[in-house]
Amino acid sequence: MSATTLSVRNLTKTIKKHKIINGISFELKAGEVFGFLGPNGAGKTTTIRMIVGLIKPTSGTIEICGYDVKKNFTKAMANLGCIVENPELYPYLSGTDNLLHFARMLPAVDNKRIAEVVDMVKLTERIDDKVKTYSLGMRQRLGIAQALLNRPKVLILDEPTNGLDPAGIREMRVFIRELAENEGLSVLVSSHLLSEIQLLCDRVAIITKGNIITVDTVESLLSSQEQAIWHLEPYLKGREILEGLTEVTTLEDGYMATPYDFTQIPMWNAALVHAGVQVLQLNRKLPVLEDLFLQLTDTGGAHIE
Amino acid sequence: MNKLIANEMMKLVARKRLLVIGAIVGILVILFTFAQYKEVQTQREKLGTDDWRDSLQQQIIDMQNRLGSSRISDDWREQIQVSVQQLQFYLDQDINPSEPGAVTFVRMFIENSTDLFIPLLIMIVASDLVSSEHTLGSVKLLLTRPVKRWRILLSKYMTLLLATSLIVTMTGLLSYVISGIVFGYHGWNAPIITGFVVDGGNVDTSSIRLISQWKFLLMDFGLVWFVAVVVGTLAFMLSVLIRSTAASMGVMLASLVSGAILNNMVSSWESAKYFFMVNLKLTNYLNGVAPPITGMTLLSSMSVLLIWWAAALVLSFFVFTRQDVY
Amino acid sequence: MLGKKSVRYITIIAATLSVLWLLSLGWAIQDYYAGATDHVVKKQDRSQKTVIKNHMFTVVALGDSLTRGTGDDSGKGYVGYVADDLNERFNGSIVVQNLGINGQVSSQLKKQVKQPNIQRQLAEADIILLTIGANDLFQQGRTLENFDLATIKTIEDAFVKNITTIFTDIRKANPDATIFFVGLYNPFIDVDETGVTSPTVRDWNRIAEEVSSTYPRIVFVPTYDIFQLSVNDYLFTDKFHPNQEGYRLMADRIAPLIKWEGESK
Repeated sequence: MSATTLSVRNLTKTIKKHKIINGISFELKAGEVFGFLGPNGAGKTTTIRMIVGLIKPTSGTIEICGYDVKKNFTKAMANLGCIVENPELYPYLSGTDNLLHFARMLPAVDNKRIAEVVDMVKLTERIDDKVKTYSLGMRQRLGIAQALLNRPKVLILDEPTNGLDPAGIREMRVFIRELAENEGLSVLVSSHLLSEIQLLCDRVAIITKGNIITVDTVESLLSSQEQAIWHLEPYLKGREILEGLTEVTTLEDGYMATPYDFTQIPMWNAALVHAGVQVLQLNRKLPVLEDLFLQLTDTGGAHIE
Repeated sequence: MNKLIANEMMKLVARKRLLVIGAIVGILVILFTFAQYKEVQTQREKLGTDDWRDSLQQQIIDMQNRLGSSRISDDWREQIQVSVQQLQFYLDQDINPSEPGAVTFVRMFIENSTDLFIPLLIMIVASDLVSSEHTLGSVKLLLTRPVKRWRILLSKYMTLLLATSLIVTMTGLLSYVISGIVFGYHGWNAPIITGFVVDGGNVDTSSIRLISQWKFLLMDFGLVWFVAVVVGTLAFMLSVLIRSTAASMGVMLASLVSGAILNNMVSSWESAKYFFMVNLKLTNYLNGVAPPITGMTLLSSMSVLLIWWAAALVLSFFVFTRQDVY
Repeated sequence: MLGKKSVRYITIIAATLSVLWLLSLGWAIQDYYAGATDHVVKKQDRSQKTVIKNHMFTVVALGDSLTRGTGDDSGKGYVGYVADDLNERFNGSIVVQNLGINGQVSSQLKKQVKQPNIQRQLAEADIILLTIGANDLFQQGRTLENFDLATIKTIEDAFVKNITTIFTDIRKANPDATIFFVGLYNPFIDVDETGVTSPTVRDWNRIAEEVSSTYPRIVFVPTYDIFQLSVNDYLFTDKFHPNQEGYRLMADRIAPLIKWEGESK
């Protein structure tokens, strides 16, 4: 993979002797979309706010393109674009004035660049209207336009699809993937919508109670949890044989699951056939992150949609 | 820095706060102009003449009669004595202390609004500058730009100073334009007596000087502007600390009102002079009005205000550059 | 839409104003502490003559609390009732300048009358009403408590001197206006068991009348008799000032004496 654009090492945050974030470390590479997944209150937003400099970490370092956020704030921020939670722009200003406002806070952003990002997020028609007349989706797009003004290397989006309709969500997803693939941006996306992360991200960090439980590519996370689903006749005898060979989970409607190991499956199948058990169905099942998440966190799915 | 100030000014103008303040001032000036007009009318009817000397004489006699009453407090008596001596001085010099005309109205209006009304107007802007960004959530975008936090706060503070100048000027202009319709746009060169030295209940007139009203007005405006800046800075600090427009306005309002009340009763509580609220009527020193606490001077009042101002500014910057934003 | 230019202009104007006010502030401090001494106050000639309406009758009232009307619930005092009477009779407007000050003694009135503005007002007067002396003589009751003829004699001498000056000054300002000099009554007539106050007050009035008679157009108005018989009916609760009735009776004495040219009988 290519260069590291964002690196977070041993990040902790203590508020009133209470550890909110407990030693988080991860890295982002150029051109990848990184998912930040966890239930509400897990520490996603706190971590993101520490990365963008809104909250001072108790300990640990954050570097954006090699610049330490604490020691070299302006240089670090020059390479960062972000939307933290909702894109709260000034409702009493027009879209242009909002962009102008933030452009003035950036080095070397001219009117041409403003027009460019407006075009990128397809807001050209309404850009001179007051932001208070915008729909949520338009505000979201204007927020992204604002985040892209300074051609950042790292883009941080906190719940980017929050409040969007399904069409808007799909549009946003395509847009983010394009940014990563065409412009080589690193995108950090936080969400509690597992389906979103699964479709959008290259890698995922799963965070709960201030700890990262696991960081891996979506594929490997999923494949490590691949299962084979069996439908056997007679049921009891089949299960007995399988249990003698591997770990078996009983499912509903007379199905059962075993780990998917393509080197072993033919042998198990042969053993069943040999014992006179009919294999009515044998499926390979790719699990969704949901299942994975439930396995990895002990909070259960209470806060997950 | 210019760009940041341009941003803040853009937001200030877009929110139309200045227009709202202008409207408030306008309405108030209309009210006061009318009240003043009515007062002049009744005075004229009561005395049967429109000679200012007659009404000034009557004013002095009324005060002298109040002095005769045994029920008034010593401080109040001293203040009346001082006023009597000053008015008598004007009368002896044949100078009208309130030459009719818009300029005199502006002077009276600005002098009377220095401790409550103008600070109130400044508060409308100052309490909101920082806390509105918090309420709106835009502070998260503002503070994640490659600009150091102190520069952002400084740009906001500079904007506050600019707004203060605008508001003070607007108050002056509006009261001139509106009252002029009734009283006429004259009085720039009316003579004003300054240099009264108040010592207890006596007025020392040895260092008295005569200056044109426009000069006096300019000095008044300088002092009023200074007071407005100090009060604005305090409101600004609260806006940084409390992050809620309503709460910071409430605190500020409470202290201003308490100052107005304290002014009338602190004379025996000497350390009250270190409160900023009792030091707001700087124009009184030019007019030779006795200060609420003996021993207070223009310099001491300004020093107290400066200390409050500096403390507020330091605290604002200290907190703003360090605080975590959730 | 927001004009970028308008924001810029506002900013520039505001910045200029800030500098202006800052300079004014500096000037105010400088002027206050190192005030230039070049323009010392000089008496200015700004004689602007009041435009007097054609039909105007000006009453100037001088003196003490009696002129002020202390004790009258309506606040008018004898001056007010005299003015009421004149208003009924005079075909024009009555202007009353009540310059009475509570507790005023003759020495203070002497100073007051010397004030240029008072002189000016006196000059415009058609009639002048005057009560003075009660505070000299009674000293808020102290004279009665420590009654001593020698003390009273000194007070009397001083009074005569003061009132002479007062009359001279009034006449200097206005040679024509009739002065109604209201005499003293004895508020202590009922409580004085020794009976020394009544002769003192009578004596006082006699001297006052004598002084008045040396000037032209001074009418001495006695009030002693009004309060002589039933003093408590006409005194305010402080047992010193007249009440409403008392003032009315005083006014009834003065008002009929006031005449002017062309008054229809």
